[in-house]
Formats: sequence, structure tokens, C-alpha cells
Amino acid sequence: MRWTEKYRPKIFDDIIGNGKQKKEVETWVTNWKEGKPQQCLLLVGPAGTGKTTFAHVIANEFSDFIELNASDKRSYDIIMNTVGESATTKSFFTGENNYRLIILDEVDGIHGTDDRGGTRAIGKIIKDSIHPIVMTANDFYSKRLTTIKTKCKVIKIGKVHTNSINALLKRICVKEGIGADPEAVRVLAKGANGDMRSALNILQAIAEDSKKLRMSDLEIVSQKDNTNNIFDSVRRVLKSKSIDKIKNSLILDEDPTFVMEYIAENIPREYEKDSEIKKAYDMISEADLYFGRAQQSRNYTYWRYASDLMGVGVASSKEKTYKKFTRLTGAMAFSLMSRTRGKRSLRDKISEKMSEKLHMSNNVAISMFPYFEIMFENDDVAYDIATFLDLDEDEIKRFRKRKIPKSVIKRKEKERQEYLAKNKLESKSEENLPDSFKTIKSPSQDKSSEKSVTSPSKAKKSNNSKKLDESKTKQQESSDNLIISDNVENYKKNNNSKENNNSFVESKGNGSEVDNDSIAENKNNTSKKDSSSKKDNDSKKTKEDSAQKSLFNF
Amino acid sequence: MNGPWVEKYRPKTLDDVVGQRHIIEHLENYVEEESMPNLMFTGPAGVGKTTTALALVKTILGEYWRQNFLELNASDARGIETVRTNIKNFCRLKPVGAPFRIVFLDEVDNMTKDAQHALRREMEMYTKTASFILSCNYSSKIIDPIQSRCAIFRFAPIKGQDIAKRLEYISEQENIDYDESAIEIIVYFAEGDMRKALNLLQAASSGEGKITEDKIYNVVSKARPKDINDMITKALTCDFMGARDLLRETMVLQGTSGEDMVNQIYQDVTKRAMEGNMDNEVYIDLIEAIADSDFRIREGANPRIQLEALLTKFL
Ligand SMILES: Nc1ncnc2c1ncn2[C@@H]1O[C@H](COP(=O)(O)OP(=O)(O)OP(=O)(O)O)[C@@H](O)[C@H]1O
Ligand SMILES: Nc1ncnc2c1ncn2[C@@H]1O[C@H](COP(=O)(O)OP(=O)(O)OP(=O)(O)O)[C@@H](O)[C@H]1O
Ligand SMILES: [Mg+2]
Ligand SMILES: [Mg+2]
Repeated sequence: MRWTEKYRPKIFDDIIGNGKQKKEVETWVTNWKEGKPQQCLLLVGPAGTGKTTFAHVIANEFSDFIELNASDKRSYDIIMNTVGESATTKSFFTGENNYRLIILDEVDGIHGTDDRGGTRAIGKIIKDSIHPIVMTANDFYSKRLTTIKTKCKVIKIGKVHTNSINALLKRICVKEGIGADPEAVRVLAKGANGDMRSALNILQAIAEDSKKLRMSDLEIVSQKDNTNNIFDSVRRVLKSKSIDKIKNSLILDEDPTFVMEYIAENIPREYEKDSEIKKAYDMISEADLYFGRAQQSRNYTYWRYASDLMGVGVASSKEKTYKKFTRLTGAMAFSLMSRTRGKRSLRDKISEKMSEKLHMSNNVAISMFPYFEIMFENDDVAYDIATFLDLDEDEIKRFRKRKIPKSVIKRKEKERQEYLAKNKLESKSEENLPDSFKTIKSPSQDKSSEKSVTSPSKAKKSNNSKKLDESKTKQQESSDNLIISDNVENYKKNNNSKENNNSFVESKGNGSEVDNDSIAENKNNTSKKDSSSKKDNDSKKTKEDSAQKSLFNF
Repeated sequence: MNGPWVEKYRPKTLDDVVGQRHIIEHLENYVEEESMPNLMFTGPAGVGKTTTALALVKTILGEYWRQNFLELNASDARGIETVRTNIKNFCRLKPVGAPFRIVFLDEVDNMTKDAQHALRREMEMYTKTASFILSCNYSSKIIDPIQSRCAIFRFAPIKGQDIAKRLEYISEQENIDYDESAIEIIVYFAEGDMRKALNLLQAASSGEGKITEDKIYNVVSKARPKDINDMITKALTCDFMGARDLLRETMVLQGTSGEDMVNQIYQDVTKRAMEGNMDNEVYIDLIEAIADSDFRIREGANPRIQLEALLTKFL
């Protein structure tokens, strides 16, 4: 039998550590038993500290219980059909304490897609239940908990103190008849880092058969990874001034820029004086600079400076250590990002289209949005631009609340048909262009050459897009960027043919592969040294030239 | 069916490009000699880098420009994969009907360092068959090995009078009436950025009647997010968390870039000082802080973190 089961506490008194929390839970139970319904209980804390144990001990206090945990599928329907039923109907037992405890273990493990609607179901059950509910979770900041936790009485279960683990291990050694080296027990207890379950598992693994526990035995088992929890690190930095402790606390298994975000997030929550916040943020900004440099130069030794700046630097920015409890939060900027995913993806879809058709970067495209909002107030302009950019209804809605009136669309479409009909471009295609394009003086952009194209590409093009009638093909050729599209489909074809043209000899070209590199965050720049000295004379001269001339600009 | 004016009035030939004469002259030499080194165009937004590149390509490659031209901009995938396969394959082929082939990489500052490194070899391997044109806002964001393989042309902001002339020309083409003073105001706000000038003009003309000073101011104030002002006010009144929330909302939700944020913060602070709402000393301290953030962001620091830090300077 597993020792974790064998020694799982059956009553409150057997649960070690977390004294205050134990009291709170007991009061909660007593109140229920006295017929005073209580808020749903949410136990949050690290692994192996007694949350599930608590839940089952509580269950013993009631006449009946039902449990769902991460091993169960927990979609909306399933939760409603199992727990939902029991939550709203009376228990079969009669008597005073006829409550049925509902245990929802590991609620932060509810999966987004596999358990679709799970959190919604839980919200509903919390609202409707006539029975006590206990939930457990590891990660207080889990997205799945954001709505749930506001409706619960949250009790944070802390790590079990090393001394308590040590004491319990000793007792168990006695019971199991294990001859244990006290030093080894202590090392085991400390190594467990507050996780009672882990300590028990290791002890059983080494000592059950041999009935011995020596220091040397500990070497063969790998202890649980003892990296710090990110919030421990943040708290250390904000609360401590000891270099030693701070540096140690920053050894953890997380992306260091992520840790920096967490520290930055919580600076103004902990520090009270503006001067402290200022100093601390200076350190963060400096650290961030080194992270950037590390990334560019791929010289990751810079990380150690960044780490010191955001750790020791931020820590020593406080004048004194505040004696208060600060509720630390995860990096809100990240949660803002996930909350606004929909809006941002709409924004990005539009800027993609602009970027492609207007030859500009996404940033520049986004900076044009406010102008578009104004231009789109005009029905005709809205129609023109929307058509040009091939915007769908949602995308148009980003710029104007009202739909473009049907009458306007009809009229515009007719206008275009007429325009196209009028411009059956046999020759003199140039004349159909807006005047702004007629001022071509450059000899090599000779009109006649445009018209007499009989290149292989042309042949290829008509193969590629047979349905494009001749006139349109020509029109497109002559007007380059001014692509006149009949409808979305034609537009796409035009685009296709343009692509194919780029590589008509061999059909490899600008393929459509998805390349993550280009999506990767753009933190690319080298340090600022003037590189001109390395350029050849020619370009140097050019540079001087232009620098000189630009003096006269403005 | 004309798109936004910025596109409708994009010059088609080198001659039509407004300003940048000294650069254009050099480029015309290349056309004459039918040969061209790898080029890099750098400079602020909306001054004609992309426009010039496209015009040059069409001129120098002549009638078969499409077949000998590969354009990849920020909206295309441009990771190492693309560099190593698509671009390479394109460069390998002999030019047909043109002196050489051209690869145009627009907004190279958006390419990852790794992709840039992959590119460096290709820029010298195929000098016989292919030339590169690269365009970017900051050459500092381009790795040295690439810079050293290019002739670098720095595009300057467009002169006020040139912008004014262009605006007047376009207004005539579009049959819109305007006050002289309105054009002046546009030129003032455009700060040498032709794209911005055209956007202002088109936005102001989308209502009825002629374009007046008031209409321009109206567009400018609508186009400038109020959030920045609120954010700075909050920071100045020591509501750091409030200011920080606004900053994040603007950057994350609206997607305003770090660079734009810096510009707007700079403008807002300057406005406060000019209206007498800020001591000179405070002003200059803030400017120093803004400059520092600006520098760091361009050096590759995380813009949001840097700007959060900047906000503490207002406390
Ligand atoms: N506070 C405690 N007192 C006594 N034993 C404990 C305590 N915490 C954990 N244990 C031991 O560890 C085992 C696992 O604990 P439990 O299932 O309660 O962990 P948990 O907090 O629910 O962890 P998880 O978050 O991983 O689900 C228990 O069966 C018990 O043997
Ligand atoms: N020198 C110029 N002459 C005439 N029009 C210009 C000039 N520069 C910019 N424009 C106008 O602004 C628009 C954008 O210009 P362009 O795409 O060349 O900017 P850019 O310098 O490449 O900017 P970015 O850095 O944002 O890529 C053009 O379509 C054109 O309408
Ligand atoms: Mg558990
Ligand atoms: Mg450009």
C-alpha cells in the first residue's frame, strides 16, 4: 500500500501545518452543520500540501459526498449531469446533517477544449447548489479560476514547514521499523520543499524494503525539482534586502524576462513611495536592456547582469521593508493580451491586408486606423477603401458602426461596371489611368513597351488565370499597383498571377510557407556603433552626400 | 476603384518622386549603366523609400520587370526558411530580358537576426545575376555584415514646400477646394512624412465642402488618441497604476507601437510646456527621460517595459 494513502490524515488533527487555515475550514464546517450555508470553499496551494486531504476530511463530516477531479472529463454536460443533479437535490439521508459535500478537485486543470464549458458549469453549480462545495487548485492565477474565485471563499494552503515534515517522517520511520539516520531524515524533509507527498514517496521508495535510511541512500533518488515558485521569488525581491537570499530565489525554472514582468507588475503594489517605484523601475528598465542585448548578440552572459538588476537592484530600491501583506498578481500585461485576443486578431487581420496592398509595415498600417475611421464616415470612400483592401463586414465594422447602405453599394458597383466597360483596353491603356499616372517622363517607362508585351510571362499568366479576360489582364499590367478588381475572386487571381510571374522560369518563388521566424518577436538590432567606417568608399561618399544635402531639407 | 490616396498617388517613376533628388540622381546613373550595387534605403516613414525602390525596379529592369523581380515585405514570411529556399532559388536563375534580377526586401528591420544572417551569403554569392534592395527605418537594426554589403542611401524627411505642392496637385486632381492655410497646417503636422500628409488631406476631405484649417485640426485631434493625454495626467498626479493600465491598453489593445508612443508622449509633454503648464526644469528632465527610453527601445529593449519605466519619471 502506498504510504501516502496509508498515512493520509482522516481527521483535522492529523493534518500537519497550516494551523490557521485548518481553523478556518473547521469553522466553515461547523457553520454548515448548524444549518448556516457558507460560500463555496476554494483551497489553493502547491502540490502535496494537503488540499485533497482536506477535502476528504471535510467529507467525513457530512453524510455523503460526490467528487470530480482532473481524471474525469469535465465538460459542461458532464458536470451538469453528475454534480449538477446532486447539487440541487436533497440528500437521501435524513437527519440534521443531511448535506452532501461536492468536491471539485483540481479545478485549474479543466481543459479549454476537451472540457468545453466546464468552468461555466461550475459557475452555475456554485450559484444553484444547496450543498457545501469544496474546490482545490494549484495555480491561483489560472485563467480557469478568474471567474470562479470571485465567488468563493479562498483559503491558501501553504507549503508544509520542514520541521513538521521532519517530525512526521520520524514518526513514520518508527512505525515502519526503519532505522533512520536523523541527518538523512532532515535532509529528506528539507529537500521536499514543503511537499509532504513527495517526502513520503521518497521515504517509501528507499526504506520500505531495506528498513534503513542513510545519507548515501538519498543520493540514488532524485528529489523533486526544487526550483522556486515564481511568486516566492517576486516576494523575496520585494520583501528582502539580503543579496544571498535574493540571488538564490531567482534561481528558478522560468524564462527570466517573464520573471522580470512579474517583478515589475508588483513593484507599485508593494512599494509605496514614488521615489522607490522610480528607482525600482529604473532597475527593471536597465535589466530589460540587457535582456535585449543578450538576445541580439546571443551573448547570454548578459543575463546575469539583468538578473542582478531586477533582483538585487529592485530589492535595494526600497527604503525599508514594508510590514504588510501584499497580494501579488501575475503580469497583468499578459492577461490583458489574452483577454483582448479577439480584438487584436481583428486588428492584425486588417493590418495584414493593408500591409500587403499598401506596401507598409503593420505598425504603420495600425497608425492609419484613426484616419480610416474618419474617412469611413463617408459612404463612398468607405466602399472604395473596403473594396480595395478586400475587407469583410467585421473588418469594416472596425472603422464604422453603420453598414454601408445597400443603395450606395449598388450605385458604386454599377459605376465600376460602366467604368470597366468604357475602358475596354485595347490600346492606349494609359489613358484610362487617373491623371496622376500620366505624367510619366522616364524614357524606360515607355508606353509602347508596356503594350507590346509578348513575353513568356504573359502566356504563362493567361494559363494561370484563364478566366481573367484580356482587358483586365492588360489593365492590371499597365496600372501596376492600381489593381482594378471586379470582385474579390478576380482580385485574388490577379494576385496569384502576379506571384507566378515573379518566377515564371521555375515555379518556385515566393511560396506560401509559414515561417515562424518572421513572427518571432522583433527584438533585432545591433548596438549603436557607427558602422560607416566599414563601408566601402563609395557608400561612404553617398552617405556624406546625402547627409550634407539633408541639411538643406527643412 | 481607387484605394486610399496614399496608394492612388504613389509615384510610378523616379522622376515623379518628390524630393530626394540627390538620391534619385545616383539611381538614374545605375539605370543608364544597367548595373547596380546592393542598395539599402533607410529613413523615416513615408518619405518614399518603398516608392523609389518600386520605381527603380520598373525602370531598370524594363519591360520584363515582373519576371525578374521578387518583392518580400513585412507581411510575407521571411524567416530563415524563406531566405534559404525562395530567395536563393530566385537568385540562382539567369535574368531574362533584363540585365539582372532584383530582390526587394521591404522593412528589413522586421526580419529576425537569424534570417538576416542567412541572407548575408546570398547577397554576395549571386552578384552576377541578382541585386538586392533593402529598405528600413533604422539601419542600426540591420546587422553589420548586411550593411557592409550595401550602398546606403539615407532618405530625408520631405521638405515642407514640396509636400505643399504635392497636396495642391492632388487636391486639383480630386476636385477639392482648400484654404491655403489648411495646406500649411497639414504640412506642419506631417513633419516631412508624405503618407501622413496624404492621410490628413483625404480624411479632411471626406466630409462636405472645402478643406479648412478647422477641419485639419479636427482630424488631427481625432486621430491622436486621447489616452496618451489621460495617461500623462494620471502619472503627473501620481496615479502610477492608473497610468500604467492606460499605457498597456494603448499598446496591447490598440497596438500602438513603442515608437509611436514615444512620439506622442513627446508631443504631449511639449504641448504642456508650451502652454505654460510645466516648469522648464521638469520639462527638460522629462525630455531627457523620453530620449533615453527612445534610445533604448531602438536598441532593442522591450518597448512596453521601457515606457512603464518612463512613466515613473512623471511621478
Ligand atoms: N498537511 C499535510 N499533513 C499530512 N500529510 C500530508 C499533508 N499534505 C500532504 N500530505 C501527504 O501527501 C499526500 C498528498 O496530499 P494531498 O493529496 O492532500 O495533496 P494536494 O495538496 O491535494 O496536492 P495536489 O495539488 O498535487 O493535488 C497525502 O495523502 C498525505 O499523505
Ligand atoms: N517622395 C515622395 N514623393 C511622392 N509621394 C511620396 C513620397 N514619399 C512618400 N510618398 C507618398 O507616401 C506613400 C508612402 O510612401 P512610401 O511607401 O514610399 O514610404 P516609405 O518611405 O517606404 O515609408 P515606410 O518607412 O513606412 O516604409 C506613397 O504611396 C506616396 O503616396
Ligand atoms: Mg490534490
Ligand atoms: Mg516602405
